[in-house]
Amino acid sequence: MLPAEQALILAAILFVTGVIGVIVRRNLIFVLMSVEIMFNAAGLAFVAGSALHGQPDGQIFFIFILPVAAAEVAIGLALAVLVFQKYRTLDLWTIARSREE
Amino acid sequence: MSEMIALAASAPPAVVYPLYLQAIIAIVKGAVLLFVLLTLAAYAVFAERRILAFMQGRVGPNRAGPFGFLQPLADVFKLLTKEEANPPFADKWLYYAAPAIITITSMLTFAVIPFGPSDWFIITDLNVGLLFFLALSSLGVYSIVLAGWSSNSKYAALGGLRATAQMISYELPMSLALVGVVLAAGTFSLREIVCAQSGLWFIVIQPVGFAVFLIAAVAESRRTPFDLPEAENEIVAGFHTEYSSMKFALFFLGEYVSIMLLSCIIAVVYLGGWHGPWLPPPLWMLIKVGALVFFFIWIRATFPRLRYDHLMELGWKWLLPLAIANVVITAALLLAFPKLVQGAGK
Amino acid sequence: MNNLLIFYPAAVVAVITTLMVILTRNPVYAVIYLILSLCGVALVFFSLGAPFLAALEVIVYAGAIIVLFLFVVMMLNIGRVMNEQDCLRPSRKQMILPGFLVIVLLVETLMCLFAAAPVNPAASSISTKALGQALYGKHYLGVLLSALVLLIGAIGGIHLGRASSCPDTKERSIHAPR
Repeated sequence: MLPAEQALILAAILFVTGVIGVIVRRNLIFVLMSVEIMFNAAGLAFVAGSALHGQPDGQIFFIFILPVAAAEVAIGLALAVLVFQKYRTLDLWTIARSREE
Repeated sequence: MSEMIALAASAPPAVVYPLYLQAIIAIVKGAVLLFVLLTLAAYAVFAERRILAFMQGRVGPNRAGPFGFLQPLADVFKLLTKEEANPPFADKWLYYAAPAIITITSMLTFAVIPFGPSDWFIITDLNVGLLFFLALSSLGVYSIVLAGWSSNSKYAALGGLRATAQMISYELPMSLALVGVVLAAGTFSLREIVCAQSGLWFIVIQPVGFAVFLIAAVAESRRTPFDLPEAENEIVAGFHTEYSSMKFALFFLGEYVSIMLLSCIIAVVYLGGWHGPWLPPPLWMLIKVGALVFFFIWIRATFPRLRYDHLMELGWKWLLPLAIANVVITAALLLAFPKLVQGAGK
Repeated sequence: MNNLLIFYPAAVVAVITTLMVILTRNPVYAVIYLILSLCGVALVFFSLGAPFLAALEVIVYAGAIIVLFLFVVMMLNIGRVMNEQDCLRPSRKQMILPGFLVIVLLVETLMCLFAAAPVNPAASSISTKALGQALYGKHYLGVLLSALVLLIGAIGGIHLGRASSCPDTKERSIHAPR
């Protein structure tokens, strides 16, 4: 089996790990990190596809993923800081519950 | 003469060694480089102390050996035999890892630096060598941040936070200044960048890029005009407040190795690397690196420390726009007169 | 052959460290695991014949984006204060459905991969020059759009950061003089 195909499997594993992280973790920082893992796994899948077909387009999509991830992190972390200042916690359940009250 | 050297360098090596022999050669080259590097770093400390003393009208260390030439040995011996005090409130793993990170990242980059045209003076000619340097220098930030965080002390944490903001801010203009060089040379490989300067050094084509890179390099090495992360009169010693003995020595070593690294990069990228008349190529490289190290020391003796907001303003409002303008103008010139710039570059 | 030697250890490291990211309690440790995972993936890129992207992954992801996480964790000082809430794991019952879904997703993806494996014997390395030409030639619209995304991100970050510098009220946040 080619490394590119195995890289696709690796991307799948990493993506699933990210999904699990988003579902399981309750700390906002960890959720953002898991989203980052998923971004990265998607990029890995693109690069693996690019290596499979010998085309540069997959690598270019990874380059496009980078600014999206950077913007997402900048805004996500700024929001996390705001949330922490308002609720004094980053626990998502506590935040969700205090919204209902 | 220099054209001949460039030709010799661009030709592929005639003999292809078997894999195990290649590995042995690489290890030997690495060991020799490491030995030379550590000796030079120790003597850079000595040179800094003597030169600073000279510039400030003092004498400096002159007791150990003739002119104090054995002072580095004495320093190393002292640091090795000192008692090691580890704060009990520190985060053990990261506290130990932080000094190792900066030493490893700054030493690893020397693997891609060409000291001469032949294969014997470079460990590996990576085709993304310049990016390798940037990648490792951006990983080096973690050493400072983690040292600041893991010490669990207020001064160290302040130093770590300052260092993070400063190094992220100055990495941007640094990378952008290098983009101009990459445009002119048409390659990321450090050896090919040097070969492209056989006619004209890039400091002539890229004066703005050179100035931006130089300032950003001083900021990256966290030395005096930009040494807010370790400002003695505000936050004791910044991120390495809690470190002692050998671990402090590693930070110290890391600082001087990274000064030499930045000098090597500046020499390779802007000052024509090993190119020069009469003398053998590696000697030219050493002369340029030595001159740049002296320049770093000179800056430290001359400039006062910046205020923090001035530091940020310089990075974001002056260096970054300058670097972007440099990239745009270089690209436009390359588009308009491809022959002129390519001819100058090659 | 050489590529596989790079690939397998890097892949194993990437998987383990990524698992550790979502398993550790301490945010700073998680950030470090994430850096390691990104370095592993960068090595995988390298073995796939994309050295430019490998460098980009370390410079942009590990060097710039993840530093932001570390910065925020240090700034809020949540690394050392253990969140008691986070120690309470979700009960096993709540884990069944997402776990099942995730396993199905994983198996399905693997089946897709094994069933219809596209064949290209020479996974050739794409030169940086070809990459640049395709990026600024065929995909120039994407470059413009990602520039726009970055601009929006910068504006959003500045706006939110300003709001957070006035801790008590929302009204003052936008119109407050600097």
